[in-house]
Amino acid sequence: MISRRTFLRMGFAFSAGLSLKRHGLAAGGAFPQFNITQVRYRGGQWDPNPQFTDAIVEELELRTSVSASKERRTITLTEPDLFSCPFLYMAGKYEFDPWTSQEREALKRYLTFGGFLMAEDAMGIRGFGFDAAFRREMKQIFPIHEMQKLPPDHSVFQSFYLINSIGGRQKINAYLEGVVIDNWTPVIYSQNDLSGAWSRDRFGKWLNECVPGGEAQRLAAFKLGVNIIVYSLTSDYKKDLVHHPFIKRRQNL
Amino acid sequence: MSTSYLMTRLSIAPIVPLWLLIILLAAGLAIAFMQYRVIRKRLGPRKAFILSLLRLGTFSLIILFALNISVTSKKEHRTPPAIAILLDTSQSMGLPAKDAGESRLDQARQILLGGPLSGSLGGPKPLLTSLDETYEVRLYALSESLRELEEKELPALNPGGKGGSINDALKKLAGQVSLAIVLSDGTTGLNSSSPGLTDTSLPKDLPVLTIPVGDADTYRDIVISALKAPHVAFRGRELTIDATITSRGYKNVTIPVLLKDGSKLVTAKSVHFTRSRESVVVSFSFTPDEIGTHMMSVSSPPQVGESITSNNSISVLMRAVRDKTRVLLVSGNPSPNYRFMRMALKNDPSVDLLSFVILRTPSNVINVPLQEQSLIPFPVDTLFSTELKAFDLVIFDNFPFHVYLNQKHLEAIREFVGSGGAFALIGGPNMADGGRIASAPLGEVLPVGLSQEEDYSRGSSSGVRLTSAGAAHPLTRLLPDKMLNLRLWNEMPSLDGLNLLKVKGSGTALLESAVSPAHPILTVGSYGKGRVLTLATDFSWKWDAGMVARGGGNWAYLRFIERTVRWLTKDPGIDPISMVLPDRPEEGQDAEIKMSIGEDVNGPSGSARTREPILFSVFSPQGVKLLSQLKASGAPGEYTGSFHPERAGIYRVRVESRTGSLEESLVIGGRMEAFDAAPDHESLRSISAATGGKVLSASEDVLKEIAPFVASAKRGFVEEREVPLWSLPYALALIVAFLAGEWYLRRRWGLA
Repeated sequence: MISRRTFLRMGFAFSAGLSLKRHGLAAGGAFPQFNITQVRYRGGQWDPNPQFTDAIVEELELRTSVSASKERRTITLTEPDLFSCPFLYMAGKYEFDPWTSQEREALKRYLTFGGFLMAEDAMGIRGFGFDAAFRREMKQIFPIHEMQKLPPDHSVFQSFYLINSIGGRQKINAYLEGVVIDNWTPVIYSQNDLSGAWSRDRFGKWLNECVPGGEAQRLAAFKLGVNIIVYSLTSDYKKDLVHHPFIKRRQNL
Repeated sequence: MSTSYLMTRLSIAPIVPLWLLIILLAAGLAIAFMQYRVIRKRLGPRKAFILSLLRLGTFSLIILFALNISVTSKKEHRTPPAIAILLDTSQSMGLPAKDAGESRLDQARQILLGGPLSGSLGGPKPLLTSLDETYEVRLYALSESLRELEEKELPALNPGGKGGSINDALKKLAGQVSLAIVLSDGTTGLNSSSPGLTDTSLPKDLPVLTIPVGDADTYRDIVISALKAPHVAFRGRELTIDATITSRGYKNVTIPVLLKDGSKLVTAKSVHFTRSRESVVVSFSFTPDEIGTHMMSVSSPPQVGESITSNNSISVLMRAVRDKTRVLLVSGNPSPNYRFMRMALKNDPSVDLLSFVILRTPSNVINVPLQEQSLIPFPVDTLFSTELKAFDLVIFDNFPFHVYLNQKHLEAIREFVGSGGAFALIGGPNMADGGRIASAPLGEVLPVGLSQEEDYSRGSSSGVRLTSAGAAHPLTRLLPDKMLNLRLWNEMPSLDGLNLLKVKGSGTALLESAVSPAHPILTVGSYGKGRVLTLATDFSWKWDAGMVARGGGNWAYLRFIERTVRWLTKDPGIDPISMVLPDRPEEGQDAEIKMSIGEDVNGPSGSARTREPILFSVFSPQGVKLLSQLKASGAPGEYTGSFHPERAGIYRVRVESRTGSLEESLVIGGRMEAFDAAPDHESLRSISAATGGKVLSASEDVLKEIAPFVASAKRGFVEEREVPLWSLPYALALIVAFLAGEWYLRRRWGLA
């Protein structure tokens, strides 16, 4: 006897099959090329917003051509699969334990050879808790490439949307920071808790209120999230000369 | 020949020491004296004296033998002076001597053998006959080399070949003859190294009398005598081509001069000649807009009354190369594969990358006004209609082309590849564009086809392995050592997504999946003049990150991308085949092409050395395959190919081996190209002046003119003869006579 859940699943699969042509385009989610991998670490709180992926991935697939998976993977810095993750995400509220030299070396190699890390301070107090610990580790890993404020014309603000305001659950900084190596920014850091603004429960209700900007600030957080992900997949593509006149004209509209 | 005696002298060369001979002579005298004393009492003083004298004579003769006396005589023999007649037989001598009459060679022949054109050079008799009577005449034909002639060969002598160097010929004759007479139109030395008419190396002890043939005043011709163009040019950069146009006999005439790229007219200019003999340099500007070989030619239309029209054009091959490789990368969506490939291409300083990523498909919903979007329109028409030829390589990365490109664009890509462009298709779920790839014009170009309905598989990771072709192919040769390279590819990180394809007849799989059934991962091929490649995965970026994870660097991925671009765009540095073409080969002469084939010296098994089968083909300007030869030059991978071009034109030379192929164009020049056949009597005057000779005109008496030059010529030899006396039979007979006389007298006088 077929259960109701199995029946519904079969029905959905059948209808999906009818809707796609025999040699139709691969459905976006069928073969995702992007997924978020979150870093687990010792001490502090590595997962302050456990339900943030669904909304940002849905937004990504709705607005862009990126084929993404809602599945959130987690990983430690010493796992060999680290290098198979094109997008690392790391967040926290509190100070975490110093990384071992092995962890630092692994992250350094990952970031130096093309990896990408988006880091977030969910608490948002400069020089305290996660912020202090993360800056400490970045200084250890990149002693000559200090974290710096990303300029308004950085590719991350132009990769999909033309962004001039930084959203998030909270409005701590009006900028993003990052580690810049040549033309690539392998680390982008925010203290505005973007993932807090993206988080929602299974019924679609937002878990956190965005202050002080409300829903506009949340929308800005989504736009920035889309831009960061597209930047991680296209690098400084928007700095190519062919884009300049278009971007300049639109900024002047 | 006359003879005179110079001198005769005696010389001695004793066979025993001289003191011993003196002792012997003294002993002989003593013995003769004692004999005289003994026999005087019996025979009387007269008879005794005679016998002793005979004995003494015998002794003396023996001692003379020991002295080894020789008689040396010298005689001087004199011979008539030798003169050389150099008859120019180069191809210009086949031209009319004056207007449309007999040839210059005929004129020269008549000067020697007699005829209406000979004038009075030889007096009442033909010049050669007159000279033969007084001098020793040596006759030579001067063309590409100096060849001695028999007089009987003269009537059948034909003009041909390049002009040889008079200089070299005179150097050869110096010391052998007293005088050289040159019959020429003065153009010898053209089309070869300059004779250096005022060169101080002309022999000073050999006066040269020149007899000019041909008429410079009536000769009319336009010659493109030189074309100065770079052999290598950069695409898109303007360059200058200088052509030297020479007029002979066209005063106050304006002619058009055309510059062509192949058969396409580039530009035309007018040249005005104000003097009868004048050379003008015309400069053309040209910007090659396509890479590859360009046959640049400069020509002018034939003029009325021209002697030679085949020297009215000259061609040169120019290779246009790229200063940077222009790559157009179109990606179906943002992905790790795009990012890593972009980083690798940006890492290569020789690559000029223009990339487009489809950030939004028609099904995506945009939620902001235009001023908040960074999206730009995808300039499909511009890229795939007008600008496509500006690129060297087009890459589609998981690109669903049917959404953006129409049939015309796809046909343009097919044409782009067919005419020498490169195309690469990178895998992913949308690589086959829902199966459309098989039927679109792109399907014709690609080296692969779809193997089944499901054209993409995700989930079951697979490593890769080199095929036998991949083991030898330069694209996949990331390490020079074959075994290490094989191991490197075997250890490459697994790929999580594969396109399930099959290799077409025109394709060669270099990498295939390690799991069974094996599917081609990296396949290469060619279409028309271009090269194509498919990489049937969207996870090649793991060859970068995965190798870094193992503690190594990402050099293998970077090198793979670099070699992919270089191979696709036919970078000569990566091609396993190279050719060295001959410098300005001419029709009618064998053309030799040296080739270097990057053979797999380790052999397929990595142990035994093999020599690959090499295919060498030559095609005529009409496209007909010609007979050609290929032979190994000794060193591994070194070959020499040759063929015999009958006519001038552009020939195609093609070499194919298991590791690749190479085709080059070769311009075979005409014999008359750049050939100025105008009689150059000034050069003859220079030769005569430089050697102390003179130029003879038809009205002069050659014999009279020659006399002063050969009067001081001492020619002959001295005969020296040495006769040793002991070798004369008279000496022996005299000794025998002395002994016999003494013996006879003794018997007669009762002493025996």
